[in-house]
Amino acid sequence: MPRAIEPNHHAYGRHVGLLVQQLAALPGIGQKSAERLAQHLLDCSEEEAAALAHAILDVRRTIRRCSVCHNLTEQETCDICLDSRRDQGLVCIVEQPRDLLALEATGTFGGVYHVLGGRIAPLSGVGPDDLNLATLIRRVKSGKIRELVMATNPTLEGDGTALYIVNLLADEPVKITRLARGIATGSVLEFANREMLSDALKGRQSF
Amino acid sequence: MAAEKGTALILRVTDFSETSRIVVMFSREHGRFSALAKGGRRLKGPFESSLDLLSTCDVVFLKKASSGLDLLTEARLVHRFRPEPNQLNALYAGYYVAELILGLTEDYDPHPEIYDEAQKLLESLADASNLSIKLTRFELIMLRECGQLPDFETCMACGAELTEGRLFGFWPGQGGMICPACQREDYSQIPVHAGTAQLLRRMASNENTAWSRLIPSPQQVKELRAVMLAAVTHTLGKRPNTLKLLRFQ
Repeated sequence: MPRAIEPNHHAYGRHVGLLVQQLAALPGIGQKSAERLAQHLLDCSEEEAAALAHAILDVRRTIRRCSVCHNLTEQETCDICLDSRRDQGLVCIVEQPRDLLALEATGTFGGVYHVLGGRIAPLSGVGPDDLNLATLIRRVKSGKIRELVMATNPTLEGDGTALYIVNLLADEPVKITRLARGIATGSVLEFANREMLSDALKGRQSF
Repeated sequence: MAAEKGTALILRVTDFSETSRIVVMFSREHGRFSALAKGGRRLKGPFESSLDLLSTCDVVFLKKASSGLDLLTEARLVHRFRPEPNQLNALYAGYYVAELILGLTEDYDPHPEIYDEAQKLLESLADASNLSIKLTRFELIMLRECGQLPDFETCMACGAELTEGRLFGFWPGQGGMICPACQREDYSQIPVHAGTAQLLRRMASNENTAWSRLIPSPQQVKELRAVMLAAVTHTLGKRPNTLKLLRFQ
């Protein structure tokens, strides 16, 4: 792995060094990729570079959390929460906004969402108080929610977070379901792993 | 770089990039080690979604000669941690096992006894009963293996054997108990009744006694937990995160 160069010691000067340092701090970008991106920005026109800089600043200035579901939005309330064609009584609980995007991409869910902002992970110092649970409880207590769909990641911590929420809402008159698990459509049984087959058998449905 | 093999318990999984993960594992043969699992976030590939917290996997990894991360090349799930359904306490107890191993062991320092006991404890959490006894036993083994087991036999101040007296004190800073005659107000000690002290001695002993059948009274559970929290906090240098969530009856 190439060593990071101090901004002041970069061959093209301090400004390029700072740019490389900032780019290398982005997820998935190493020192070499940062150098390549910086080289590209040096080659492009001033307008193109300004457009990128403005886009980054605009995102930081305009994007906020939806006051209802904590999704990312430009307004006080996101388009999904405001959409009157959606079933406001059906709420899907996800860990992150990117999970919401993945579910939206299917085009099959007609309800609304609630973004927790993470999962309970005590080993990383994330507890229930760090998640958007107070607003979820408020939404449930409003009596407008009929069903909650747990769509936390199917990991030990994701399942643990779902179980915590189920216990938290045990006394509320709301139906709680979770996403099905098992084999993917289009795959073959021969190559499905033991866990997938086991989950599929446990969650079998009537025709 | 030679490929190493082993069976390992997964203690921590951190997303590293779009598709890769850093996994901290604990194996019987190699102790605790960290490895990069390239493609570890993908469903398909050499890991088959086996890289989950507290899962046990057969792993193949390339050990780096330098101080960098090892490279995990294969992982096949042996079994997944399945706490008692709908019992958050059993789940948190599993997290606590991972936190203790992460905090009290060193890289490439094998502790077969810790590995075996951790596996037994995780398996036993399919039934969340008698959690205080199960966890206390594991904590005592962890402390013994890292050379920090408190002395429950003799007084830390006068050296006398703790055979007489009804109420002793546990002094975490000194690593043991104080007899009634030596107790002073300025010692930061935790009161421990003779029955609890006896329980601690039995559970800390190497002999394979039937400790799992011990049923402590609510008062003894309270004292056991106070002693173990103090001892573990003193050794770790901080209060374990997971204990905030665990509830003992």
